[in-house]
Amino acid sequence: MQKEYLGEFEELILTMVAILGEESYGNAIVQEIQERLDRKVNLSAVHVTLYRLEDKGHIKSHMGGATTSRGGRKKRLFEISNAGLALLHSIQEQRSSLWKLVPQLKIAGI
Amino acid sequence: MIKNPPKRAHRFLEWFCPSYLFEGIEGDLLEQFDEDVELYGEKRAGKYFWWNVLRFFRPAIITRNNYKLKILNTMMLSNYLKITTRSMMKSKLYTFINAFGLSIGMAFCMLIYLFIQDEKSFDKFHEYGEQIYRIESNQYNTWRTAANDQSLFSKSAHIQKAVGPTLKNELSEVELSTRYNYGSKGVVRHKEKVFTERLTYVDPDFFRMFSFELIQGDKERVFSDKLEVVITQDIAQKYFGDNDPVNQVIEIDHEGSKSYTITGVIVEAPANSSLDYGILINQVNRPYYEGNMKNWRNSNTPTFVKLAKNIDLKSFEYNLDQIVEKYMGKNTNDWEIPKEIAEEDGFKPYEYQYTKLDDMHLDTSVSWSKSSDPQYAIILGAIAVLILLIACINYVSLSLTTSASRRIEVGIRKAIGASKSQVVYQFTFESILLAAFSMIIGMGLMYLFLPAFNKFTDKGIALDLNSVLHLLGFGTLIFVFVGLAAGSYPSLVLSNYQPAKVLKGISSKVNSSFAKPLVVIQYALSAFLIISSIIMYQQMKFVTSMDLGFDKEQVLVIPTQSNWSAEADNTVKNLRQALTKHSSIVSVAGTNNSFNHGYSLNGYEIDGEQRSAFTYTIDPYYIRLLGIDLIEGRNFDRDILSDSTGVIVNEALVADMGWENPLEEHLNWREDSVGLGAKILGVVKDYHFLSLESEIKPVLLSMKTGYLMNALIKVQPDNIAHSLEVIENEWKALYPDRPFEYNFMDDDIDKQYQSYNRWMNIMALATGFAILISCLGLFGLSGVNTLNRTKEIGIRKVMGAELSNIFYLLNKQYVWLAIIAFSVASPMSWYVMDIWLSDFEFAISIGWEVFAMSMLAGLIVALSTVSYHAIKSALVNPAETLKYE
Repeated sequence: MQKEYLGEFEELILTMVAILGEESYGNAIVQEIQERLDRKVNLSAVHVTLYRLEDKGHIKSHMGGATTSRGGRKKRLFEISNAGLALLHSIQEQRSSLWKLVPQLKIAGI
Repeated sequence: MIKNPPKRAHRFLEWFCPSYLFEGIEGDLLEQFDEDVELYGEKRAGKYFWWNVLRFFRPAIITRNNYKLKILNTMMLSNYLKITTRSMMKSKLYTFINAFGLSIGMAFCMLIYLFIQDEKSFDKFHEYGEQIYRIESNQYNTWRTAANDQSLFSKSAHIQKAVGPTLKNELSEVELSTRYNYGSKGVVRHKEKVFTERLTYVDPDFFRMFSFELIQGDKERVFSDKLEVVITQDIAQKYFGDNDPVNQVIEIDHEGSKSYTITGVIVEAPANSSLDYGILINQVNRPYYEGNMKNWRNSNTPTFVKLAKNIDLKSFEYNLDQIVEKYMGKNTNDWEIPKEIAEEDGFKPYEYQYTKLDDMHLDTSVSWSKSSDPQYAIILGAIAVLILLIACINYVSLSLTTSASRRIEVGIRKAIGASKSQVVYQFTFESILLAAFSMIIGMGLMYLFLPAFNKFTDKGIALDLNSVLHLLGFGTLIFVFVGLAAGSYPSLVLSNYQPAKVLKGISSKVNSSFAKPLVVIQYALSAFLIISSIIMYQQMKFVTSMDLGFDKEQVLVIPTQSNWSAEADNTVKNLRQALTKHSSIVSVAGTNNSFNHGYSLNGYEIDGEQRSAFTYTIDPYYIRLLGIDLIEGRNFDRDILSDSTGVIVNEALVADMGWENPLEEHLNWREDSVGLGAKILGVVKDYHFLSLESEIKPVLLSMKTGYLMNALIKVQPDNIAHSLEVIENEWKALYPDRPFEYNFMDDDIDKQYQSYNRWMNIMALATGFAILISCLGLFGLSGVNTLNRTKEIGIRKVMGAELSNIFYLLNKQYVWLAIIAFSVASPMSWYVMDIWLSDFEFAISIGWEVFAMSMLAGLIVALSTVSYHAIKSALVNPAETLKYE
């Protein structure tokens, strides 16, 4: 299998989709990132990344049911696919195995 | 209350966003908006909404559009094509009017494009073009007085002979340098072939600096001997035919005859080169070379240098100033420069400047024979755009007025499911197709016009593969643009028809008032061109038929083809003796410069004031031959010895000097320190020896200030061909070894206005086409309007209307439109023509007659175009038109 890599932002969005589960859509992700990481991201950037991840097969999307808020517009809901989940796992493993190789340094002053 | 985000932003999003993503994105944006409204209020939320929408306008979103589906509806394309051809065939006349106008406009645009390309390509073919500079002098104008109103400095490309070699020897930046004297002509002989040729004096570096290819000869070795020449292919062909010219010897007579060996053949200079040459001769052979090399007061040699790569131009400028200081310092110290000017910051009485070879052509600050004013390109471009605009207006107004016939088609299309945008696409497609079709015809027209265009603009543009490819690209650009510009409005109007109304038979009539302003614009543009070209024509007529103060008719100008020596005077004398026995020859005179063949301007100082006069060397026959009025004093007389120092002056000079009794005065124009100077023998009435662009300047005529380089021969008006033959035979008998050349003085004088004439011709051509195209448009428009009123006319006739009533009814609106258009165009053209006429010192005044005349002409043309339909429909039997009711 060809090795796949994700960019930092892509990885972040993929993780968020995994965290949010059934309620993951554009705005929810923006808010989640804002709350958990205190990082401001742009809605359009999130959307573009979501579509790209979908193209790569890491997430799937479908239209949600009708809503009363947001002008009655349906939400495009995303969920992580098996391939996406596997990719997140492998990234995690690689990272922790690499982390173990780092000499146990201490941050000066602590 | 539910707040709504900005509609436009919404629509924009809908426009660019792929439809399958639209709802999700829109929903997210709306949610964000609602939140923003809570947080910041509606106004700011609206702004944020806009901003967020714009952030979505990014390639990653836009490229998700399925273009094929949206822009090119391929499924319908073949249907559109079919319908387009059908509707074009159905109304052949309108299609013709549209295609004809557009193709002429496009042909003009392409010609102008070629013109501009050619201007831009000047001197761009040199390999070292980036490093070659022309050196110029910028000199304080010591001749400047309050009266003659010259500028403070004068710039010239003619500099001292020694500058080239000096720069090369003393400045490390200068790698190569060549001088370039191109003006002179000489008699060239090889065996029995004798012609005058243009001689160009250059240095050996010429061949190494410029990329003019040597077909034969080695560019490193050519000119290693002083007596070598390089000739162009044409000249080689002329003298040697198919034989090898190299190592042949030719004799060149320019102020003394010398034999030269040909050591190279060079290609002709291309038409887009500022440098030109016929026979290239080593600079050191130029007459008076040695003297000129030592003389830093005499500026007569254009010079080019090739600088080393990446040098600092600032330090080069500094070094040039050092050269001035070293060689010219003594000179400039003598100049009388007013204190307030001399003490100004950075004032330099004399300075060398430089212009890059690339920039030379469009630089008009220094006079150069082939430089051109970028303004011309702008004027030509404006004319082309005007014509194209008129043609586009035709298209818009015609397709709108004929749109009624497409009403049902649009209704049905919409009823069976075409969206509005599809109808827009359809009609835009139609207009682009028509534009493309016109483009192809336009290309053909351009090809036909090109030779005439070259003649008008004095260019040698030829089409090669490269320029054709460029043209194709440019043409595509134009036709897409024209198709969109002309087609967008009609297609928007057409697509607005409501199917229910159309199909029920309720005629949703197109408001035809839109067509009126368009016709006014079109008409005003044409009127502008008409008035301008009439004024130009009047001025040119005035210039060529004005009494110049002398008789230029039937005067032949024959160069004596001799050196600057007494031999020239003898030639004139011998010619006179030989020719006066023929009855067809009236008289023979001599002069140093004939009109429009150069002049000499002499400056002198009298009583501390700088003055100048044009000096002509003449013989006693001159004044009589040209019929110049001698109002005081007498003509020269060969038998009176002192006449050789006397002068005859014109009224302008008398006025300049402020003399009361000119015959008692002396003019010390040679700044003789002893004696009073030249005695005034006579005063002639002012005559126009310069072109009418300038006023009459002081002139002094003398017998012994130079040699008679031209013979003037006045012949009888009848049978000039015979007289010419007589003169040529006598010339051949007298001087078999000199070429016989002649010009007619009136031709020479008319040549001064060549460029004006060219512009007048271009204007006339443009006017002709503009009138033609707008008349065609008007013709079509009036046809449609008349057609719409067929029934009305029928009823009116039944009620007893006369032919004249109906004629009046149908035509009065066009008269009004024409009058409005003229009142717009008149001040515009008056303004522009006033600027044009200010070039002439002697100009016609623009009178109301011109405007009245062109208005009348315009009205007549317009009326006769629209009358065709009016009369036709007025003559129809009302029974025909009304029987269907």
